[in-house]
Amino acid sequence: MLAVEVRDLSKTFRSGWFPRRLTRALRGVSLAIPRGAIWGLLGPNGAGKTTLLSILATLLLPDAGRVTVLGHDVVREAGAVRSRLNMASGNSNFIWSLRPPEILAFYARLYGLYGRALARKVDDLLALAELEPHRKVPYHELSTGLKQRLALAKSLVNDPELLFLDEPTLGLDPDVSMRMRAQIKALREERGTTILLTTHYMREAEELCDEIAFIKSGQIPARGTADALKRQIGIGDVIALRLDPPSCNRLADLPGVLECTSQDGRMECIVDSADKRLPEILRWLHEQGVVVRDVDVHEPDLEEVFVELAK
Amino acid sequence: MNWRSEAGRIYAFANRNVLMAGRNVFFVFELVFWPSVGVLSIGLMTRFLALDPEMTAFLLVGTMALSTVQVCQLDVSYAVLFDVWSKSVKHQFLAPVGIRHLALGSWLVGIARGLTVFALQAGLSRWAFGFDFFHAGAPALAAFLLGCFLTSLIVGLLVSALVVLFGTRAEVSAWATVNLVMVFCGIYYPVSILPPSVAVLASLFPLTYVLDAFRAHFGFASAFPHPLLTGFVLSAVYLGLARWALARAVIRCRRTGALLKMSE
Ligand SMILES: Nc1ncnc2c1ncn2[C@@H]1O[C@H](COP(=O)(O)OP(=O)(O)O)[C@@H](O)[C@H]1O
Ligand SMILES: [Mg+2]
Repeated sequence: MLAVEVRDLSKTFRSGWFPRRLTRALRGVSLAIPRGAIWGLLGPNGAGKTTLLSILATLLLPDAGRVTVLGHDVVREAGAVRSRLNMASGNSNFIWSLRPPEILAFYARLYGLYGRALARKVDDLLALAELEPHRKVPYHELSTGLKQRLALAKSLVNDPELLFLDEPTLGLDPDVSMRMRAQIKALREERGTTILLTTHYMREAEELCDEIAFIKSGQIPARGTADALKRQIGIGDVIALRLDPPSCNRLADLPGVLECTSQDGRMECIVDSADKRLPEILRWLHEQGVVVRDVDVHEPDLEEVFVELAK
Repeated sequence: MNWRSEAGRIYAFANRNVLMAGRNVFFVFELVFWPSVGVLSIGLMTRFLALDPEMTAFLLVGTMALSTVQVCQLDVSYAVLFDVWSKSVKHQFLAPVGIRHLALGSWLVGIARGLTVFALQAGLSRWAFGFDFFHAGAPALAAFLLGCFLTSLIVGLLVSALVVLFGTRAEVSAWATVNLVMVFCGIYYPVSILPPSVAVLASLFPLTYVLDAFRAHFGFASAFPHPLLTGFVLSAVYLGLARWALARAVIRCRRTGALLKMSE
């Protein structure tokens, strides 16, 4: 059973009068997301992530293509899906002077809650988002982390079957974003919510998602599980070594080593995971009697992935 | 359809307007200061010009209609304006709500505020100028107020449509449209003194008829055959059109992406 099915979706934004600018935000995107999955959409700024999510959430009308969400056509039957999905984004805003319980109650009412069920839902969500001590604080005085938690809480007012999260950890401290990720995982585990999230952090996509789609310039050039993608693209963490003697070609044969090159007296090994392979490589080098003068580990950033993908 | 959910959605908007009003310093100005200044300055002007009681009634009825329409209309416009100002528009249109919820909820608060302003002005004009608003009788007064509130709803929806289409650039319309009403509906003069071409325009505004009908109770012969009926039929037609305009504006925003632009 699919939660989302998209075929040949495109969207062009028109802005300005003269000169009139056209932005082709999506160019023929197709994807299928099974129910209960956590799906990641990974791409740089301007790739079209928000555009795609907005179309799926009925906030934006597509130009061409077919989009089915929870079994309904997202254009013709938008009303039928709205009550069953929700969305939160890292740059959400709410009315500045309202307080967290007021904001949650307002949206819960819009989704049809009333009476005791409404009061209970607001309390539950305040507890979930750890916003109880901040009940009386107006929205604009909340910290970024609290704002983001409130946005996530708001997106749960209707117990959505399908949840869209647009850069949910944008601008958060590492420990706060770690907690946010744990909460996202718990949502799927405890409620079976299907989640489609966007991010431009590769690590985040890797940690959370069953499957990842790379999106770039409105197209999806690659998709799959994190491991499959890395294998497909041949990109992983880079371990740079300065050795004595300077070159050691047999490194390439070690398990987990995808590629090995030597330049300027340095060996560069691309491995699937530096955490796992670095100790093994160092032990092996030691056994071979090779002296390691310097080690440098670096995780590839998205730009490198896309450079690879563009080839 | 679950009617309690429906009522809850309407209540959500009403409740939000009330919460916001309670936190807005300018609220006092909208509700007390401007209406008092309006009715006192017009009343004093009638004294200065040594107008007879009929003429005084004519001008005070106009002033109070204008203030009531303005304050009620603002509340309806706020249903969209608050979100546009806070860049939180998208959450509202992501939810399963219709224009009826947004319009009715905010209109109810607008009516409450309109009645408050009206009561204040009626009290002031009685105390300062001896003008008795209730002279026309309760049914006539109720029809007059309903006519004013319907005009507010129509103007509020049109302002909302403009704001949805053009963002904060159009927010000035929330304060400016009332001037249109002032010129064309005969707030300070009978529409019969307008040049014929402009009088045609005046006859398109429902408030023109509502004012005409109410003033008939203060000794001014009605200029139209069935003013109240015409006023309410016109209001119903415009209400339909205004609702349609806002619905189209929202669809347009969903197509152009302005709904997202207004949310970041
Ligand atoms: N409402 C809009 N009007 C005009 N252009 C837009 C609008 N929203 C997005 N775009 C453009 O579409 C492209 C994709 O944007 P977006 O989907 O927001 O990317 P991402 O979320 O991946 O950063 C960008 O070039 C952006 O400038
Ligand atoms: Mg984005």
